[in-house]
Amino acid sequence: MFSTRCWIALGLLSAFAVPAMAQSFRVQCPSSTITHPAAANNSEPAYSAPTYVPVTSGNADYTTGKSGPVNGAIKCQQISGGDGYAVMGDGTQTYLFSFGPLSGIGDITQGLPGTEFPSVFNTPFPVSTSNFLVPGDPATTVDGVGTSPIAGGLVGPLSTAQLARIAGSYNGAVGQDYDIGHTFSIFDISESGHTVTVVLNAQSPFVVGDQVVISQGSGTDLTGYIGTFAVTAVNIPNAFFPANFAFQYTNPTTGLAAVNMSSDAVASSAPAITGHVDPRQIMDVGVMNGNIPAPLMAIDEDDEFFLTLTNVGMIMRPDLFEQHTVHFHGYPNASAFYDGVPDASVAINIAASFTYYYLAPDAGTYFWHCHITPPEHLQMGMVGQLYVRPRQNRVTGALYAALQTQQRDLRTACRRPGDGAIPAVTTDPDILCSNPVPVVNTGAAGGGKTYAYNDGDGSTYYDVDYPVQMHGFDPNFHFVGMTFNPEGFADMKEKYFLLNGRSYPDTVNPDPLQTQSADGVYHFSQPLPTIIKIAPGQRALLRISNLNVSEYQTLASLGVPMQVVGYNAKLLRDQAGNNLYYTTNSITLGGGESLDVILDSCAVRSVLTDPSSSCTTPMPTGTYYLYTPNLDHLSNDAENFGGQMTEVRVAL
Amino acid sequence: MFATTIKKAISMKRLLPVSCTAFAILLSAAAQAAAPGISGSTFNLTAAPAYLSQPDGLSVYSWGYGCTGGALPSGSTFVPTTTTTPFCTTMQVPGPTLVVTEGQSVTVTLTNNLPASAGNTSILFPGFTVSATGGVAGLLTQEAAPGATVSYTFTASSPGTRAYYSGTQGDLQVEMGLYGAIIVVPSSAPTNGTCPTHSTAAGLNTAGTALVNGGESDFRLSPTGAAYHLAQSCYDREYLFQFSEMDPNIHAQALAQVTGCAAPGAPTGCHLNVPTEPYHPVYFMINGRSMPDDMDTNYAAQYPHQPYNGNPHMHPGDLTLLRIIGQGRWQHPFHEHGNHVRILARDGNPILAPDGTSLAGPLLFTTTTTPGLAMDGIFYWTGKGLNWDAYGHHAGSSDPLATLTCTPDANGYNTGNALAVNYYEWCQDHNKPMEAKPFGDIGGGGPVTLPQPNLFTNGAWYGGSPYLGPDATVRSAGPTGSTPPSGTIANPPTSEAGFAFMWHSHNEREITTNNIFPGGMLMMMLVDSREFVIDESL
Repeated sequence: MFSTRCWIALGLLSAFAVPAMAQSFRVQCPSSTITHPAAANNSEPAYSAPTYVPVTSGNADYTTGKSGPVNGAIKCQQISGGDGYAVMGDGTQTYLFSFGPLSGIGDITQGLPGTEFPSVFNTPFPVSTSNFLVPGDPATTVDGVGTSPIAGGLVGPLSTAQLARIAGSYNGAVGQDYDIGHTFSIFDISESGHTVTVVLNAQSPFVVGDQVVISQGSGTDLTGYIGTFAVTAVNIPNAFFPANFAFQYTNPTTGLAAVNMSSDAVASSAPAITGHVDPRQIMDVGVMNGNIPAPLMAIDEDDEFFLTLTNVGMIMRPDLFEQHTVHFHGYPNASAFYDGVPDASVAINIAASFTYYYLAPDAGTYFWHCHITPPEHLQMGMVGQLYVRPRQNRVTGALYAALQTQQRDLRTACRRPGDGAIPAVTTDPDILCSNPVPVVNTGAAGGGKTYAYNDGDGSTYYDVDYPVQMHGFDPNFHFVGMTFNPEGFADMKEKYFLLNGRSYPDTVNPDPLQTQSADGVYHFSQPLPTIIKIAPGQRALLRISNLNVSEYQTLASLGVPMQVVGYNAKLLRDQAGNNLYYTTNSITLGGGESLDVILDSCAVRSVLTDPSSSCTTPMPTGTYYLYTPNLDHLSNDAENFGGQMTEVRVAL
Repeated sequence: MFATTIKKAISMKRLLPVSCTAFAILLSAAAQAAAPGISGSTFNLTAAPAYLSQPDGLSVYSWGYGCTGGALPSGSTFVPTTTTTPFCTTMQVPGPTLVVTEGQSVTVTLTNNLPASAGNTSILFPGFTVSATGGVAGLLTQEAAPGATVSYTFTASSPGTRAYYSGTQGDLQVEMGLYGAIIVVPSSAPTNGTCPTHSTAAGLNTAGTALVNGGESDFRLSPTGAAYHLAQSCYDREYLFQFSEMDPNIHAQALAQVTGCAAPGAPTGCHLNVPTEPYHPVYFMINGRSMPDDMDTNYAAQYPHQPYNGNPHMHPGDLTLLRIIGQGRWQHPFHEHGNHVRILARDGNPILAPDGTSLAGPLLFTTTTTPGLAMDGIFYWTGKGLNWDAYGHHAGSSDPLATLTCTPDANGYNTGNALAVNYYEWCQDHNKPMEAKPFGDIGGGGPVTLPQPNLFTNGAWYGGSPYLGPDATVRSAGPTGSTPPSGTIANPPTSEAGFAFMWHSHNEREITTNNIFPGGMLMMMLVDSREFVIDESL
């Protein structure tokens, strides 16, 4: 397969600079873009108004009507695609096809998303003569197992020292390192006004915007040209060499004579963070380091998200030479190219990386998974969680008015007649829009508060949120998958039933679970506990998804009612603005569905319509349970107690 | 005759090259879909046995409804009228889709041509008030004894999509294939607004810059352009998906007992006693076909008893009506890649807010099909919010299609000129580059750098570039686009270059055919640039 892109590239060599992209592992995390043009985009600005105002006549493009503030930030993440092992509730080690963390490793071991701002992502690991990277670093392992192993060979909790080491660990992109600078000798340098044209002795590697140092050794003939400048143009036709040997910069000094064939003149660029990675670090950390669930991702509405998938290969199944992909499940108006379906797009080969790019869609609970041979790769463990936080978290003041303001943003608007937003409309809402202004203005106000959706009435307020992914493993399938045999699909039958990759009682182990891999080293394999901790009177948002590949699964709450506020990453609200929330004690999801549930540990609030108001009558403290009423799923293979269950701890 | 059993208890990983070759043979052309059926007021249906084809080679003994005498009765027509080579044999699965008009009196006369040992049969029409004449009394309705007939009459009281299926020993007869769909189209236009103009522009005129007005036929069943009396149910395209699963052991036992009962010396009154539990389905079908067969054309000659396909195509902005029915025993979480589906109605009943006109049905990226439940949903795709120009418009290009304009309407879409290639483009992303560096005839300045294509494996439905439509794809990646390892190009860069999305059961085990992946409840949906003519008569 010699692709057309190459063919075109060859054909156009003389027309365009070809970036040096021979390397197959690479990360991408620009600190600024045309959408986020500020030099740095490392925090979430408050939301006051849409970026674009509606334009209603004349030809328009992405620059038209862009008069509002820039919203959101840039977020980046790197993951590995490969294999690994996890430990089941009965102590069995299970082989996985899996994704592992290659950024935010410190955060992930603490149950947090591995999604980082560019300032964090683009920080190289501080290697020094006293701070080496060893296999498994940074911190995908700790030294040995926990302090108090549980009987039966289970991994015990981590020691204080071990936890401290994790907390202090590194969150940047594993492997990212300074790319070497370029140094090229100059054939000819000349000036016209303030514009200097430099002709190198070879094809120029520089692109517009690069900082280039013009210097020379002991000679002096370049006096006036020397200094550090930004490249202003490339591909400059010249009298000596092809156009792509030349570039230009702007020099404050004018009137200099041309210098031809100077003996020691060079143009160089400084070493820089450009997305170049050191494959040794990638392989040291990424190989046999799968997690279940796959690394957690979280972004905010209006963010640009750069997700780099790095395929490190499956060490246990070299015969498969598997590609992997990421499917952002449920993204509205997805592009086929970044949708992760190998049949409809591209899949990433071993020893290569690919960066998926999306603007964050509407707020909600999504999830993600590999889309190669889904019955196999999903069963084997390539499933993860992903959610988008709403703009409303960044709103201060009245939520209702803020949602009316948001209706000015045509990308997310859901207008209906009489919604009070400007300008007034007379037509019914768009059939696929989901977030109309609520019927009732509750007067709720935001500011440092968190919500599941842009509700405009504060009804999806929560104090703490927990991702909860239901899954199931068929140990026979995993065994066959590990032992070079073709797996059968028809008889697939799960025997381990998982919440965030663990069965009870592992679900209530607060530490990252470790599994000893074939190399004898304990790797963090299951970073997420599922302990639902709620302070009395507070509200917990459960972001629930089901990735079981063969069954519908039910999750029930014993004692604390479940209020369902979102379904399939959409606020439950009709297009007239009425909330369609319902209260229940159980929810049922098929594979590939998600839902948002609020567990409220308050019986009576001071302001009935404001869930963020103080609680006057909290629920009794105590331990409640979240469990599956599919009672045969309350087992860990042959053990008849365990499975899909965890604790809801209402406690201070 | 016994069923040919070719079971392949091996993973598709080894079979992929084989299957892809099979694909190439079977994909006669880019098949499209629509929701074909037969229209009229009097239908003469027969329940009869035949063999269904599965892509792993198994022929499965089944029962289904068909047209009595193997032909359409006078007064009935095939719809949509542009359908190519339609047929109605004596048996098909699903049964003929009955298309009737609201308010009409409908009579269905059923003839029982099942083997005598199968006993009586019947049809239930949930959602209608049915009066039955003739036949013999059964548990749920009047039944037709072997060789005899029964008639059902009802008024098509309200619009919508509904199921019909056997009301006799349903655990066996529905499993064997006795089910179908009835679509009632509204008799009058929406009461709360008017339907938007249905654009049939597609293809390119000789100048290459504008579309041919009327380039596509209208394949909608509803003459009002709406599924209900609601403006929100207006649509441009429609597809009917009937989900069912099949346990071949039940079918094999039915065949064995039918054969035994028909053999010389069989006892008088010999009748079937086929256990339907434990239930272990291994075929998961949409419209009676497993993938990849479901992506062949409607009425493809190789499936004489499975005439209906599942291979939706749509242009950006096309309102696409999905009529979905659960016809089997299991629930299936059907995941529509590309966008959410707004559920309009369940079993023909619109889901509305208390004001009576606002929609209150959920927005779903996974629509669960439930046994006996029909639902209607609306889907469309525009690429809004991708944050890059999906058409790869490039202001510096000399290609007129690369420099089209975008004039936003009140919703931000380019809808002023239905003859524009980028009709329904999202103007806030117009001209917005995706790639950091210019590439081919596509501008640079965007956020990402695409790696060397040799790092990828291309899919059969990959259009050849990140961009939508042949013009943008050729400008980006050249005329040969991409060739997947299989050699199968199902979405050619120079003619279609659509955005392909997989629509499939997310209980992923069900996208297999017996033990073979890919298969089962899986289809590709194509969003096609308006440069491509979607011909659903294929």
